Amino acid sequence: MRVEISYKFVMGFVFVVASIVLLNLVVPYLEIPEVYQRYVMVFSALLVGGVLGLVLSRAFTANFRVLTSSAERLSEGDLTRNVRLPRRAFSDETDDLANSLNLMVESLRSLVAQIRSSSVKVSDAAQGLSASSQEISASSHQVANTIEQISRGAERQAEMVEKGSRVVKELAVSIDLIASSAKKMAASAGDTSSTAEKGGEMARSAMKKMKQVLAEVEDNTRQFASFGENVHRIGKIVDVITGISQKTNLLALNATIEAARAGEYGRGFAVVAEEVRKLAESTGESAGEITKLIETLREESLKVQESMKESTRMMGSGHEAIDTTTGAFEAIIQNAQTTRTKATSIAELSEKQTEGAREIVAAIEEIAQVTEDNAAATEEVSAATEEQSASMEEMAHSAQELSALSEELLAMVGRFKTGLEKG
Amino acid sequence: MEQLLVFSLADELYGLEVDQIQEVVEAPVLHYIPRAPKLLLGAINFHGAVLPVLDLGGYLGLEAERRDQRVIVLAGKSSPMALATTRVKGFIPLEIDALLPLQEERREKTFIRAVQNRGGEMINLLDLDRLLAGMDRLFEETGGDRGA
Repeated sequence: MRVEISYKFVMGFVFVVASIVLLNLVVPYLEIPEVYQRYVMVFSALLVGGVLGLVLSRAFTANFRVLTSSAERLSEGDLTRNVRLPRRAFSDETDDLANSLNLMVESLRSLVAQIRSSSVKVSDAAQGLSASSQEISASSHQVANTIEQISRGAERQAEMVEKGSRVVKELAVSIDLIASSAKKMAASAGDTSSTAEKGGEMARSAMKKMKQVLAEVEDNTRQFASFGENVHRIGKIVDVITGISQKTNLLALNATIEAARAGEYGRGFAVVAEEVRKLAESTGESAGEITKLIETLREESLKVQESMKESTRMMGSGHEAIDTTTGAFEAIIQNAQTTRTKATSIAELSEKQTEGAREIVAAIEEIAQVTEDNAAATEEVSAATEEQSASMEEMAHSAQELSALSEELLAMVGRFKTGLEKG
Repeated sequence: MEQLLVFSLADELYGLEVDQIQEVVEAPVLHYIPRAPKLLLGAINFHGAVLPVLDLGGYLGLEAERRDQRVIVLAGKSSPMALATTRVKGFIPLEIDALLPLQEERREKTFIRAVQNRGGEMINLLDLDRLLAGMDRLFEETGGDRGA
């Protein structure tokens, strides 16, 4: 049953007063001299009052002592035990206070536990943060190094790009040269072709003339053959004349003999015979000369025929040579045309190449631009990483501070004993 | 004026008077005479008569490499015959003043009657009678049936 302390006090007072009153009623009944009665009464009243007061006050303050000691314990940080009051018939505000203290202990305990775990976590987190920031710092160092490398690479790239640009420009110049050379070559091939066509034309006309000459030579050969035939006939006629002159000579001889036989009468006849003989002789001589001339003619005509045959043969080989020449000219024309076609296609290709080289130059310039941008960007990144690095260091510092703070917190919380600590 | 028919035997020139000659014949067909001496080249048909042809050069001991187609038919009374020579030249006038006489003994051996000098050329005049007499001896020696 719950009785408030005030009521308890009232009841105590009532009880003390009642006890004294009762005593006062009891005392006259005791065989105590009157004179002393008063003293006894006072004394008894004091005694009863004192004893009862003591007992009652003790009863009242016993819980307060427990509470005080508990509060002291709490103030020392001992949260291991709850406040436990002796069980009594009548509970009062001290029980409420004990309950409140116990609630406070509970909540302090959980608070301390939470703070402890939180500070441990904070410490851990701070350490982790520190480690992470160190890692990040290391990483950002690496990033800085890498950026440095990239920057160097970008410089090298820029150099290379410039070099490449130069080379491509030179290449473009070379290609232009090739193109102009190819055009010249095409023109030369055209000239060669036309010259070779003229040459072929000349060879054809030479061939035509050669054929004419050949025909003439053949005609001459035929004429010569008929000439030889005629000479042969003349020879035969001359043979006949020679025979006749011989016969005439013989007749003249015999006529001379007959004239001699006729004696004086044959004298005139002998003269005639002599004349005839002379005629025959001169005829024979002339015929002989003609024969000689014919021999000479025959020999010469044989020589002429030989030389004509030689000419014909040489003309045949000349014919072949001209044929070969014509073929050669045709081959030259063919080659020159092929060359011209190829040279033209080379010129076209090299123009395309020039176009390509120009595009390459443009692309390389763009690359150079990009490289410069990259260099600028890497510098920015470098600055950013430096900043980051500084931030990371700050962060690491803060994390260490945080760690220290959490350690401090732990130390502070360490005063509290909850009985739940481990280790 | 007497005429002289000049002909050559090998390189020597010989001559015959025109009245000793019947005719000069061109390229007659030579017929082989069996068992005849070597100096008789053959026989010819002369206007229907058969005449022997004598190798005159061979007979006179002169080696001739060729013979003229013409043969000289002699105007023989008893035994007509033909002479083959190296070459028949023709007639020249006989100049009696230009004749160089020969010694008698030499005439017998060589059948030459006289020699005519004509512009440095020596023409031996043939002694035909002696030659023909020699011929008869030749035929007798060789056992020919000439004159039979």
